[in-house]
Amino acid sequence: MNDLSVSVSAANGPVPQVALPDAPPKVTARGLNFYYGEHHALKNINLALGTNRVTAFIGPSGCGKSTLLRIFNRMYDLYPGQKATGQLMLDQTNILDPKLDLNLLRARVGMVFQKPTPFPMTIYENIAFGIRLYEKISKSEMDGRVEKALRGGALWNEVKDKLNASGLSLSGGQQQRLCIARTVAVRPEVILFDEPCSALDPISTAKIEELITELAEDYTIAIVTHNMQQAARVSDKTAFMYLGDLVEFDDTNKIFTSPSDRRTQDYITGRFG
Amino acid sequence: MVQESGAKPAPDPGQLGYTVQGIGVADMAVQSDVMEAAGPYDRAKALSAFKLGDVTFYWLTRACAISVLLILGGIILSLIVGAWPAIREYGFSFLFTSRWAPSADPPVLGALGPIYGTLITSVIAMMIAIPVGIGIAIFLTEICPIWLRRPIGLAVELLAGIPSIIYGMWGFFVLGPFLANSFQPFMISIFDGVPVLGTIFAGPPSYLSLFNASLILAIMVLPFITSISVDVFKTVPPVLKEAAYGVGCTTWEVVRNVVIPYTRVGVIGGVMLALGRALGETMAVTFIIGNSFKISSSIFAPGTTISAAIASEFAESDGLHQSGLILLGLLLFVLTFFVLSAARLMLMRLEKKAGN
Repeated sequence: MNDLSVSVSAANGPVPQVALPDAPPKVTARGLNFYYGEHHALKNINLALGTNRVTAFIGPSGCGKSTLLRIFNRMYDLYPGQKATGQLMLDQTNILDPKLDLNLLRARVGMVFQKPTPFPMTIYENIAFGIRLYEKISKSEMDGRVEKALRGGALWNEVKDKLNASGLSLSGGQQQRLCIARTVAVRPEVILFDEPCSALDPISTAKIEELITELAEDYTIAIVTHNMQQAARVSDKTAFMYLGDLVEFDDTNKIFTSPSDRRTQDYITGRFG
Repeated sequence: MVQESGAKPAPDPGQLGYTVQGIGVADMAVQSDVMEAAGPYDRAKALSAFKLGDVTFYWLTRACAISVLLILGGIILSLIVGAWPAIREYGFSFLFTSRWAPSADPPVLGALGPIYGTLITSVIAMMIAIPVGIGIAIFLTEICPIWLRRPIGLAVELLAGIPSIIYGMWGFFVLGPFLANSFQPFMISIFDGVPVLGTIFAGPPSYLSLFNASLILAIMVLPFITSISVDVFKTVPPVLKEAAYGVGCTTWEVVRNVVIPYTRVGVIGGVMLALGRALGETMAVTFIIGNSFKISSSIFAPGTTISAAIASEFAESDGLHQSGLILLGLLLFVLTFFVLSAARLMLMRLEKKAGN
């Protein structure tokens, strides 16, 4: 798995800004619908997240971006009365299969939330916790994995001297990077970001955005954001959603320069939303 | 036409303004006259009326608050006064004497039996009630389907509403015989000959025993632990739980690693409240503990607790005997005080640690 990701990133080289060749799809949705009880929240969504690409989801509040994200790792399953229909594939796995092992799915599809959510334990344990769920490894091996994950979260240099401090003692931006490191530590294939910077200051936001670009070398990334500049900066493809519909889904450059749908244009130029 | 209509109103505003100003000034003069005439008098009167109410309110609430201190002090004082003859007679040996013979001459009174019974029954009750109570709380908040949530929650609340005398009767007529006929012989036969456990679960089986009392106590304190745990489990932010599920935790792992660490302080608070109740519970325990002052290593033997001893003997006591019972009451008071202080201290330290 590790070797594979290295070779893939080597093949891609640095991510160019324009004219990225179409990547093979990692997650594919066909005719996806979602219901909160009676409320039809997502209507016939068709899209594909390209492997090792960043796909951004934009749209006004309540348009269903976060809802869509929460289908990718079946997070909605925690709450009664919510159901999804249609087809959603992660490679060859049907994500909506009721018999699917959710813990394994969530190991493959990691998630970073709007607010930083460090667990009430030490920084070290925050990372080791997730790894321990799947692997029995020695202390020294674990130390290596924790360091690697924290480096992956661009946090190692800031916390290497206080790994036994509480995860809650970090600043908001650091906490968010800890959460990213924690997600990376279990070696997922897809990482979902649900407005990861909305609670952070501009400098922390810049760091996270940089990190997302780096992570795209090894992971398939979906990010929900309210910040259109952010979507333009970090993503390869952008999906514009409105009132539960996927209005437009195309290369980020195209969406922000010459959108084909009137509503997309109105939204990105700030006429509503 | 337009010009005319535009020009015509022009002089009006000035005129209007003048008259308005005139009226305004006159009005204000009249008003201030009235205010000057009525103002100071009315205001002072109104204020003084308020002041009286305010002062009354101040003293009333203060008296209410102080009355708590007075009542507490009064109870401690009367306990000490009532217990004084026994304190003078027995001193510290009261704590370490296991013989309780009020009819001997001179009477021999030792509190070791009741203290032992109180601590043992409370500890066993907590050992049963903590896991079960927290288990119910976890089920209700994390696992239970919605339609089942209300019936179970209601049942737990009703459990708290049952008067303790009813628990006592039920323990005496139903639980006691059941335990003596089936559970106790079973445990005794299983642990027969095992070094330590063999003496803890030793026969003969008995309707009235420390264990039966512990079991009743466990049922009685269960609602405290459950309802407080449910309340604090609900304070865990959903996004934190989602994050744990997000790295692939099972429900058990989420509860064990996120929910319980997050709510530790509140759960311990609930447990301590339950412990306080278990230490002091009287009626149900008096019914089924057997009121024996003998200390036995077996939990299936009859025993007594401080409150049960007082309840069962106080009516027929006098002189030194009665003073000894009051001293027992003072001991219970001190014991509960220490338990609650320890709980407070522990919570404070935990909060400090969590704050780091």
